[in-house]
Amino acid sequence: MSTYVLVAGNAGVSKLVAAAVELGGPVVAVVVGGADLAQAAAAPGVDRVVWLGEPGGKAAEAFAADVAKLVAADPGTVLAGRGPAERALLGAVAAAIAAPVVTAPVEIAPGQVTRGLVGGLALETRRYDGPVAIAADGGAPLAGGGGATVEQVSANPAAVEVTGLRPGRAAADLGSAARVVAVGRGLKAQADLPVIEALAAALKAELGCSRPLAEGLDWLPRDRYIGISGQQISPRLYLAVGISGQLQHMAGCRDSQLVVSINTDPDAPIASQSDYILTGDLYALAPALTAALG
Amino acid sequence: MRIVVLHKWAPDPQEATVGADGSVDFSRAKAAVSDYDAVAIQCGRQLADAAGAALVGVSVGGEAAARPVATKSALARGLDEVVVVSDPELEEAGSARTAQAIAAAVAALGDVGLVLAGDSSVDVGARMVPAVVAGRLGWPVLADVDSVALAGGSVAVERLAPEGVQSISAALPVVIALTSEAVKTKAPGMKDVLGAGKKPVTVKSLADLGLTALSEGAVTSRAKLGGPARKGVVIDTSDPAAAAAELVDALRAAGALA
Repeated sequence: MSTYVLVAGNAGVSKLVAAAVELGGPVVAVVVGGADLAQAAAAPGVDRVVWLGEPGGKAAEAFAADVAKLVAADPGTVLAGRGPAERALLGAVAAAIAAPVVTAPVEIAPGQVTRGLVGGLALETRRYDGPVAIAADGGAPLAGGGGATVEQVSANPAAVEVTGLRPGRAAADLGSAARVVAVGRGLKAQADLPVIEALAAALKAELGCSRPLAEGLDWLPRDRYIGISGQQISPRLYLAVGISGQLQHMAGCRDSQLVVSINTDPDAPIASQSDYILTGDLYALAPALTAALG
Repeated sequence: MRIVVLHKWAPDPQEATVGADGSVDFSRAKAAVSDYDAVAIQCGRQLADAAGAALVGVSVGGEAAARPVATKSALARGLDEVVVVSDPELEEAGSARTAQAIAAAVAALGDVGLVLAGDSSVDVGARMVPAVVAGRLGWPVLADVDSVALAGGSVAVERLAPEGVQSISAALPVVIALTSEAVKTKAPGMKDVLGAGKKPVTVKSLADLGLTALSEGAVTSRAKLGGPARKGVVIDTSDPAAAAAELVDALRAAGALA
């Protein structure tokens, strides 16, 4: 029985390939994207690369039914990243082979997956008798160098066309940042954001926020929101400024190596989940920290 | 044409309690129409009005999903009618089982050109249901969509990609999962709430839809998770400059600075 890794538009699937190798069976990378992506997917650990051909103007989602048909011909466990195209392909496969779907896996073993529940407050292990569809963190990009040759198969993509791309505003990449400074409701006004931006710049950190600032107040774009339905990140340093640390927020930063919190309330949930706790006014402490870093 | 909006009657995870054995108890958590589903309903209302389409809500869940408080809350946000698949077996259904029931309910409606969903549910947040529904229906799915417009037999959407704002066009029928950017939600008014009680509600069971069993695995163990142990060092902040210097030293020693 093959184990599949779905590659849709980007090669960042190293963790998925590693997990597939652990699961055993031939590891098949199913690639939707250009020829260069198919070449990149032929990395160590990958036994076969099945490529659906040049997409032309089609969005990766157009190939979901093709990918589903391919896997259904020889069903096996399927792994994919968490991006929208990856989820589209994974969902089509799960539907075609009636596989259960698992997200946020913590440990993947043959016939058994452990995952986090309610934003990582509990762990649950389930046994599976058949293939499972798993959405997980993709990992670093593959760069070829394996023994597999690229096998091109014919595709019959749906009418889903990319009609334009407006550069300028692009999605922030918090996931790969080593340091993230996140700000929450402790900030009194949008006009005060430069206080936090200066701190992030001094730390060479990306700027993030809790949900109210991105959805509701609209002080920061949604792709900077960290939480259960936003970005889930694990930087080396996470500095939470004016964030109380509610469950939904912590689900997005729980795996950070070091957590530092600046907050007025010493009893806020964030305090018990921090390595370093600074209780006090962010308007005094954030500029002091910026100065100390300068 | 019908436009379907998927919505969930979901408990607030903030009020969930986790037992020492890792069991999650939602029984005391207040339920509501899941936040992002309100976005999908309101966006669906605008699209349906512009296209002269009917707006049908489809919700799946346990017994609570079919309670009048649940259906009225969704209807008050602008749906014309609601179909609920309510079954004890769906109480803790995962994405695969939930999507199977939704797809069957959508297929039974007929003449559906567009299925809208929110970004994720507040309680589970797996973000997989729209994709599996689309797979079941054999339709394409586009997720993370910030804006959507109907034009004849197709839909034009925009979404934020790492390269910039991407425009995509897809032929109907299609499933679309929206971000909160799609529309600013507003709370239903008194008229909406009163009118909701008069709108049609259809409740179906899994047997009504003739669905076959779908295994979502067997739970072998659960555990409460404390998260990684934290140092919990409290830094004296009576002098902000001294506190900042102390923190910078600690972070430098830990190799956390650039």
